[in-house]
Amino acid sequence: MTASAQPTHTAHVIRSDAEAIAVAHKLAARFAVEASVRDRERRLPVAELDEFSASGLWGITVPKAYGGAGVSYVTVAEVIKIISAADSSLGQIPQNHLGVLDILLQTASEEQKRYYFGKVLKGYRFGNAFSESKSKNAGAFETRIRFNDDSAQIDGEKFYCTGALFAHIVPAVAVNEQNQAFIAFIERDNPGLSVIDSWDGFGQRTTASGGVTLNAVKVPLSAVIPAHKAFDEPTADGPISQIIQAAVDTGIAVGALEETKRYAREARPWIDSGQDHGWQDPFSIAAIGDLEWRVHGTEAILKKAGQAIDAALLDANEDTVAHASVVVAQAKVLSAEIALLASSKLFELAGTRSVLGKYNLDRHWRNARTHTLHDPARWKYHLIGNYLLNGVKPARHAWN
Amino acid sequence: MNALTQPIATEQPLSKSQHDLHNARSLLEATLRFVRTQAQPWAGSGLTNASEDPYVISRFGDVQIRIEVAAALLERAEDFVNSHEDATETSIAIAEAHLASAEALSTASNAEFELTGQRTVLPGSLHDPLRWKLQVIGNFRLNGIHPPSSPISTKEAV
Repeated sequence: MTASAQPTHTAHVIRSDAEAIAVAHKLAARFAVEASVRDRERRLPVAELDEFSASGLWGITVPKAYGGAGVSYVTVAEVIKIISAADSSLGQIPQNHLGVLDILLQTASEEQKRYYFGKVLKGYRFGNAFSESKSKNAGAFETRIRFNDDSAQIDGEKFYCTGALFAHIVPAVAVNEQNQAFIAFIERDNPGLSVIDSWDGFGQRTTASGGVTLNAVKVPLSAVIPAHKAFDEPTADGPISQIIQAAVDTGIAVGALEETKRYAREARPWIDSGQDHGWQDPFSIAAIGDLEWRVHGTEAILKKAGQAIDAALLDANEDTVAHASVVVAQAKVLSAEIALLASSKLFELAGTRSVLGKYNLDRHWRNARTHTLHDPARWKYHLIGNYLLNGVKPARHAWN
Repeated sequence: MNALTQPIATEQPLSKSQHDLHNARSLLEATLRFVRTQAQPWAGSGLTNASEDPYVISRFGDVQIRIEVAAALLERAEDFVNSHEDATETSIAIAEAHLASAEALSTASNAEFELTGQRTVLPGSLHDPLRWKLQVIGNFRLNGIHPPSSPISTKEAV
């Protein structure tokens, strides 16, 4: 695909939380139709993304003061969940775009906010060039930014760049000599920027989460924001990044449970059950009951996480941000657990025929297993327990 | 009427969940207190306090998650009851709250035993069998079959 630095259509501007949810349901129904085919053929959702951002859903967190709807994070999580239940690759692609919007809000100058929020409302998509696969850990960066009088130069190599291939503007994280992180907004057709479509993971196949190389990329100073400030001081930016992850996984669980019920209805009865139909199997019925309450429990905690973020945005301090991190961590654990459980139970309750290639039902499990690796749930139990037992507040970064 | 023909308790439909959740929270508090003040770290851990043990810490994370889910589903069921929605949907939401609070109590109880060496006696549950709540939910969501004789009184809740 050719790199384009502007959208093909001017986006609709969504005005309210209720409108955002309604638009998400409408889009999800359309995205569901070919989700399996896109996964099977690894057909990148270029047209679908244009439709997605033109719908206005990529601009719903732009604050009212800048012309957006400034929806609650309860609504953001619900929207991402709804889209992900239909196609979790499409649900994941705006993940970093939404995260960047909050970093803009927290750290950009007034002029930069007006400029970039305006672009987003018109339908511009941000990708991301944040993570590096060769640095010491997820929070370490080797990509460098050097400031000159009127411009900055960025050099480095990135991976897991979800959305970059489809973006009009690629925000890249780079550190200065004091190891402080900045984000440079790089236009997609900047000659120093190459996006490599190298993602061949077995799940989330159509996210194009490949690599980006930054070779003497030059941007004006007006395109750089001091992103480190979003974590130097307590802000909700970490929980915001995380709730979108949890919403994607909750969506995968919801989609897998619906599929499970559809196929379990048609399953053959087990020989010992004495029943005429698979749907009469008392053990299958109880297994559906178990998935149902766990999905609803996860959705209820996801909503609590959204409320905790909204509270932290209203009054950001050490305590509100720590609380938001803890509740979002609960949502992360639960959503990872139920996404994996539901997508695996699907086969158990639908029977052996459900593994036939023609149904492609394994995409739910492949997507769940892949996306839940974003950051390990095992450390979320620790984060929650350490706050409870020892009063230790979670470390502030994009993974908490 | 016995345990098998009464899948959902009559009267005060959420009192069982509230009771379980309350007990789960009490057990968690008692276990936290014990680990902070009396527990010894495992000798091989090289730690000074049991409360620094990463496995103990993450165990508490698990207990709290199950308690928060139970609280959230209890709140959700209360909303169903108060909004006088469809009686079946309400009874399903109540059954889900029961399952979540029972799991929270069981998780808190196991953690208490594991971390303190003491065990609070759990009440039996044959009079109010969780296994049949799973069946009720599944049979409605999978097959559209309504719970038998809908014994839920939505007016008497909490």
